[in-house]
Amino acid sequence: MKIFNLLASAFTALSVSLAIPFTATADVAGTLIIAENETPENLDPANATNSTVNQLLVGVYDALVQFKAGETSVSPQLATDWQVSDDGLQYTFNIRNDVKFHDGSSMTSADVVFTLDRLQAASAAVLNDMGPFKSAEAIDDYTVKMTLEAPFGPFISALSRIYIVSKAQVEPHMSDDNGRGWLAVNAAGSGPYSVTTYKPTEVVTLNAFEGYWGGWDGDHVAEVVFRYIAEPSTQLALLKSGEVHIAPDITVQDKLSLMNADGFRVDIGAAATPLYFQFNTSSDGLVGDASFRKMLAQTFDRKLHLDYVLQGFGTMPDGPLPPDWMGHSTGTELPFNMAAAKELVDQNGWAGSTLKVRYLPAIEEEQAAVEQLQSNLSQLGIKLEAEGMTWPAQAATVQDLATTSDINMIYNFPSFPDPHAILNTSFNSQNTGYNGGYNWAQYSNSEVDALLNQAASSADQNERATLYAKAQQMIGAEYPVITVSLPGSVVAMSSAVKGYRYSVAHHQTFNYMDISVD
Amino acid sequence: MHYFFQRFVFSLLSLFILTLITFLLSQVVPGDPAIVAAGPNAGAEKIELLRSEMGLDKPLTQQFLIYLEKLAQGDLGKSWFTHQPILEDLIRELPPSLELVIIAMIINLMISLPLGLCSARYNDTKFDSSVRLFAMIGAGLPIFWTALILQNVIGGELQLLPIAGRLSFEYRTFEGYTGFFLLDGLILGRLDVFFDALKHLILPAFSLSLLFTAVGLRITRTAMISEFQKDYVLLARTKAASEPRIMFKHVFPNGAPPSLTVFGMQFGWMLGATVLVEEIYGRPGIGRYAVKAVTQSDIHAVVAVVLVVGIVFLLANLVVDLLLYLLNPRGRVDK
Repeated sequence: MKIFNLLASAFTALSVSLAIPFTATADVAGTLIIAENETPENLDPANATNSTVNQLLVGVYDALVQFKAGETSVSPQLATDWQVSDDGLQYTFNIRNDVKFHDGSSMTSADVVFTLDRLQAASAAVLNDMGPFKSAEAIDDYTVKMTLEAPFGPFISALSRIYIVSKAQVEPHMSDDNGRGWLAVNAAGSGPYSVTTYKPTEVVTLNAFEGYWGGWDGDHVAEVVFRYIAEPSTQLALLKSGEVHIAPDITVQDKLSLMNADGFRVDIGAAATPLYFQFNTSSDGLVGDASFRKMLAQTFDRKLHLDYVLQGFGTMPDGPLPPDWMGHSTGTELPFNMAAAKELVDQNGWAGSTLKVRYLPAIEEEQAAVEQLQSNLSQLGIKLEAEGMTWPAQAATVQDLATTSDINMIYNFPSFPDPHAILNTSFNSQNTGYNGGYNWAQYSNSEVDALLNQAASSADQNERATLYAKAQQMIGAEYPVITVSLPGSVVAMSSAVKGYRYSVAHHQTFNYMDISVD
Repeated sequence: MHYFFQRFVFSLLSLFILTLITFLLSQVVPGDPAIVAAGPNAGAEKIELLRSEMGLDKPLTQQFLIYLEKLAQGDLGKSWFTHQPILEDLIRELPPSLELVIIAMIINLMISLPLGLCSARYNDTKFDSSVRLFAMIGAGLPIFWTALILQNVIGGELQLLPIAGRLSFEYRTFEGYTGFFLLDGLILGRLDVFFDALKHLILPAFSLSLLFTAVGLRITRTAMISEFQKDYVLLARTKAASEPRIMFKHVFPNGAPPSLTVFGMQFGWMLGATVLVEEIYGRPGIGRYAVKAVTQSDIHAVVAVVLVVGIVFLLANLVVDLLLYLLNPRGRVDK
């Protein structure tokens, strides 16, 4: 009987539409259709670290503060202003009193506190980047106090991914999973758009929310549609036939050819997502030896990769940080120099050795980089075995030093534009693979840790810049990584699309709330 | 009846073994779902916490027993990543795939049965050679390649049929009762939806069916050729029975069983191959769901998909057995 009950309830669930029906707003018209190759796992703000989820939520929910598309500094959103205590442990936010959620309820500090409490209870992935956040409490209806366990400079930036949910809407559905099941297929936000259809493997539609507190000045669409199209050539065909307006996942060659085609536009966003070869610095083998890594560090031609694999869509890497970021230090990684590498190999008799690299073969860029490294190393008499894996499998191997391969390829997707989000993630020993982080070089240097921790706890940007620059030089001197590329975020679209801007704080999302379609 | 009871018990046993193997395999495949669930920079402590919440810290035998116990109550578990009951996910994903497979199967039967029969009748003629050539080409074309070419030429260049999706854009919020849009269109009296869904099915179904049609055609042809050589055909011809009567009344029913068995199995194989066309034609379905589940190490979802495909495979074979049994009354005595 249970099966039949479940079937019946599933059918009911399927036939009930998700949110309030859309009513046309006077100066908001048209439909924006976006193709996306990955299907979303769910709609839960707890999971907003996942870009396929975040790209839906970014206009459905508001956060206390937000990075506007194209900007690298944070602006108030639901918060109007805030004060930080002298010890840097307490943040007091004044929040707006004119915000309505999609269900019609008004936002108060109780919603903010409820949001953070729920995320903590649900062990939400989105809290991983919130540093030493401890708790939130409501001072009055429109004042919220947040307490940290230690000072954390980028705290305000990190709040940009904490989407505030309506307590009235979510609380009745908390059940035994902290509302994860309900929020996975329902939305409870206050953003400009509400979710009207959620068919996660096919199509998701968002409709303009008439009661949006921010108003509807300017040009916007009434409806945003995400279509889940895995195949790049299908995305291209749909873009050409006018059935989608934005096609982010078509091949680099097709993007190149669309650059000069009538009716299309290709936007190249300055993304800040470095791709690395990370060397296992804690290895007992050759890669554990800094002089061996010094040799390896000179065997990859970044320029060739940028010109041929990325077809020029990207920035020439100069260390892990994008060159225009605060605290960037130049020349910390060695340039490509096969002669110098050869000399080191000859001096030390490294020819004949074998290394292993693990990577995601599904990502063409990684495949191409591995092939280049393989070919260059073979010229030096070093054999590089390549093992392609899925993401969960590769991530599992670095949980233990013994199973960490000599080299791992990994992207760093900073969740907000701050050196902390790249350097601390990739090089702090707290974040080594075996500690559950993305420092897959298993790199551990207490002096570097001290610099990174000091920079994270400071609110003085000049001091932070100096500390980060020093940290990069120290890291560079030990050759834990090759920064392979800083690929641009290349998005092809119809020229009817107006207002698209790449958002560095929300990589692989679209600022659909500011876009109109002619 | 005894025969069918036996078949039923056998099917249940196969499903149990299938579940066991899939469960074990999904554990052997490297990857840690807790790491994926914990998100970036989670820290070892959080990963450990999630591992225990997900029941992954228990011994494998215990995990399997817990799984079986729930399964016996009709509970396929919750997906770790969609946070929805897997049964609900499958109820959403299975109909689009089954619809695709059924249409592909109809195309397959409509081509391979008559062509196979005629090609056997006119064995070694030019007609037969061209049919065999068609079969050879069909068997040689990879499904994804056919799908891409048809999509680009018929959908993209000539714009005769849609490029992708299950329904046209104006129906994006359409909700039916069953998830089979053809059926939903008919139930709701929405012929526009029915024909729109059908238009969207032609290219993917044809791409999916081509390889299977080629095989079905060859099997049917071979079975029919040996049937044409039997004495009763000679007898019928000497008795001046008309050729169509010999073909359709005598040869076809007698020669059909081996093909039917193959078609039954093809149904399950097709369901397993839908992912190739689903990805290209941007259709939802169980194939794409399975790929996503595998890449996320969503073990329970993977096991559930295998189980469901297994059930469809067994059901299709059961239906074929029933048909054979009904077609051939002698079977009742033989068994």
